[in-house]
Amino acid sequence: MILLALLEGRPRHGYELAKMIESQSDSRLQFHVASLYPMLYRLERKRLVEGKWVEKAGERRKRYYRLTPGGRRALVIHRRTWREFVSVLNSLTGFGHA
Amino acid sequence: MPDWRGYIRQHMPPLRVGPARESEIVAELALQLEQAYGDALAAGASEAEAQQRARFQIRDWENLAREINTAERQSGPRFLAGLAHDLRYSARLLARSPGFAAIAVLTLAFGIGGNTAIFSMVDAIALRSLPYPHPDRLMAIETRRVEQPEIEPWTSPSDFFDLRERSRAFSTIAGIDPIWSLILTGRGEAEQLQCLFVSADFFPMLGLKASLGRTFAPGEDRAHAPSYVVMLSHSFWQRRFGGSPGIIGQTLVMDGSPYTVIGVMPAGFHYEGEPLAGTASDIDVYCPLAANVLTGSAARGLRCLKAIGRLAPGVTAEQASDEVRRIGLALAQQYPDSNRGFAMDAQPLRAQVAGRFRLTMLLLLGAVGFVLLMACANVANLLLARAVARHREVSVRAALGASRLRLVRQLLTEGLFMAAIGGLGGLAVAYLGLKCLVAAAPPSLLQGRVIRLDARALLFATATVLGCALLAGLPPASRTVRDDIGNALREAGRGLTAGHHLLRSALVVMQVTVALVLLIGAGLLIRSFQRVLSVDPGFQAHNLVTIWTQVPRAVQTSEQRTAIYRRIHDELMSVPGVRSVAAVSRLPLMGINLGSALFIEGQSTPGVPGPDVEYRRATPEYFTTMGIALRSGRFFNDHDAPNASTVALINEALARKFFPGGNPVGKRIKLGGDLDKRQWITILGVVGDVRHFGLDIAPRPEVYTAYAANPLFSPILVIRTDSDPSALAATLAAKVRSISPEMPAYDVFTMQALVDRSTTQRRFVMSLLTGFALAALLLAGVGIYGTMSQSVAQRTREIGLRMALGSSPAAALGLVVRHGVRLMALGIALGTLAATGLTQLMSKLLFEVRPLDPLAFAGAALALAAFSLSACYIPARRATRVDPLEALRQE
Repeated sequence: MILLALLEGRPRHGYELAKMIESQSDSRLQFHVASLYPMLYRLERKRLVEGKWVEKAGERRKRYYRLTPGGRRALVIHRRTWREFVSVLNSLTGFGHA
Repeated sequence: MPDWRGYIRQHMPPLRVGPARESEIVAELALQLEQAYGDALAAGASEAEAQQRARFQIRDWENLAREINTAERQSGPRFLAGLAHDLRYSARLLARSPGFAAIAVLTLAFGIGGNTAIFSMVDAIALRSLPYPHPDRLMAIETRRVEQPEIEPWTSPSDFFDLRERSRAFSTIAGIDPIWSLILTGRGEAEQLQCLFVSADFFPMLGLKASLGRTFAPGEDRAHAPSYVVMLSHSFWQRRFGGSPGIIGQTLVMDGSPYTVIGVMPAGFHYEGEPLAGTASDIDVYCPLAANVLTGSAARGLRCLKAIGRLAPGVTAEQASDEVRRIGLALAQQYPDSNRGFAMDAQPLRAQVAGRFRLTMLLLLGAVGFVLLMACANVANLLLARAVARHREVSVRAALGASRLRLVRQLLTEGLFMAAIGGLGGLAVAYLGLKCLVAAAPPSLLQGRVIRLDARALLFATATVLGCALLAGLPPASRTVRDDIGNALREAGRGLTAGHHLLRSALVVMQVTVALVLLIGAGLLIRSFQRVLSVDPGFQAHNLVTIWTQVPRAVQTSEQRTAIYRRIHDELMSVPGVRSVAAVSRLPLMGINLGSALFIEGQSTPGVPGPDVEYRRATPEYFTTMGIALRSGRFFNDHDAPNASTVALINEALARKFFPGGNPVGKRIKLGGDLDKRQWITILGVVGDVRHFGLDIAPRPEVYTAYAANPLFSPILVIRTDSDPSALAATLAAKVRSISPEMPAYDVFTMQALVDRSTTQRRFVMSLLTGFALAALLLAGVGIYGTMSQSVAQRTREIGLRMALGSSPAAALGLVVRHGVRLMALGIALGTLAATGLTQLMSKLLFEVRPLDPLAFAGAALALAAFSLSACYIPARRATRVDPLEALRQE
């Protein structure tokens, strides 16, 4: 869900995704190469994301991933169930009333 | 700048992807390291440090390769990919709890295996179509006595020829004689052969060609001008002539007549219709119908043929039956003396063949199906119990976005996975089970059919596996569908929901219900079997040997036959240990009988065919040798010989039926159709009833005529010995053969073996059903135990709380047992209701026991209740040991 959410705005390449997760979570969440790339490949196989080699002026050729329509739908569903899960969790653990 | 691609290629284990995809992955990973390296340099790290940091990005190369391979494998349609994942997941789950897996898989293996084995047998005996071309076009034509439809139907040769001439509904009609014993002589020791005399049309009608030589030509089966030709069965040809093709054209002397061998039947051919249906007879030779002495008889009242016909094109079975009935009526009007009171009809040959076993076979298939249903319920129960344990996992997966469908599929896949493994084990069980079944089944049931696990059985097993997967997987899956996620999360910590519990209880009730039905069914069969065994056969079977023989061809006159029987008698009496010797025309319990019309002086109306009675011819010593009781009058004695044809004995059944309240001794009767030519016969005495047809078949009216009136060509010798006769049997048979090389001695049995044989089929069905019922009982016990254990585990807190508040352990025990008893009582009530209906279906299989026999019902219910209570007791005991403090701490 995290990867899908990060790709929602625009296409990104693997290194950029790893960096974003690390920086936006204040280094509390880290995606190692051994998890990140297999996950991207899996999402690609499930046709939730699409990878494409892009060559930009003055830059090396990089593989950019973008969200497919299916990926967008999946993200909506994931967000909804996660929200439900967290609210249930909150109400169970008392955080909701805090 | 380091060569990162080279670095990755050097360290990465080979990937299971195509070369193009691999270089793409390597390029992408190299880019990752390159960017990390660049970032490190930019942040002020030294060259060595930057390289170190980049390398640090990938530490576990093996893991990376494995993850990429797994991700890349998820190709193809998404459903299948998911299925593969589900299967792997199921396998991992099973491996994680081997005890659970073993119980579930073994339960299913025995259930599926048992079903497949029984199906194979039932299929071969009662379901499969006959192994002839267009089998549904074959009809059996029968002549039955309207008043006594239970008497086996035979058609007279004269009626058969008339029918064949008049019928338009059949393209061909063939006649078959009863199984005939011929004595082969002139080729070493005389041998008794089983022969079937059949019309020349018989083989073409069944689509059969000789495997060697040819079948009969129409000209060889002309009435009154038969050709003495013979076809050999494949097994006889192999056994007696070593499969030599040179046998064609050779002569076999059978019953003193020379027959020319013209062909050999294909291997494995076995005619399935009557007169072979229901017998274990193996036919050795086939001869033309016209060559049989009976077929040439002009007497229309002599009924000795079975007839089959192949429907003409465009004619339906109903139309053919109508035509046969019409011809039968016309013949009865045309020949009232012999045909009045008889009706002809036709039914599909398959019904004739399978009809006699159909009910038994369906009963067995139904029973074993019930056992499988119980096995599935148990596995469903286990899956439910585990689904409860995995509730948290399932809930979290649901909360994380796994769709309901996805979860249901996972649960169903687990069911399928277990059923598939169970099915594989089941095939092994079926293979072994079928071997045991074939070894234990009475030959009269199998009738030489090849019964094995074939494509149909495999198809059945596959269908069973799928059925089991659904039955076992659906209950837990359906719960998952109904559970809402919030509820599930709240319940996750606690385990069992009320819904789960209700479902599991329902499964237990169903198991108790089914087990009770099976137990009652088995109980009824056991009670019937006990009744059959306690039936007095009317003779004393112990210390009796029977030997079939035939006098030599040269022995023709009545005096010669009397003399040779006297020799046999004296030779056998000279053997130490022999107490008495007698001869008779038909033995009890052999399934071979002869009927005759009875005419009673002063009672019967001339011109009206009398009732059919059985008749036998016996020597004076027969009754004392067999131990048959004398009820009134006297037995035959040697002084009767000069007037032997004018005296007879009758049995009690005849006395009861035709001389009710009176004394039949001294009354006169006639036997046979042509009354004017028959002599009056005086009844000398009344003897006890003998169960000639079977222990479970009521004795029919019988007449015994004196042996001396017409000494037998093929006497059956009955020998009473001082002690166990099995050791003497071979000596006695050799003694008979020693009288003449042309005299065979065959079918040497102890009478006790005949009595035992007559009950084998009943014993077989009873044993199988009892086995199924016990399996059902065990499964019900396991189901109750599992549910109660789960219930105790779930109510630990409640029980602990109650105990903390002062409740005694006995009260805790009562709490659990009461719950078990409630389920059991409901199951027993439902089972009794179901059995009340279902046992009516098996009433034909019962003997002197009513389908609603109170003892069978009460016994089954008690046994089940006792077993279920013991299954409840263990978990209930566990409840009494609940530590209140420990239980409360769990809160």
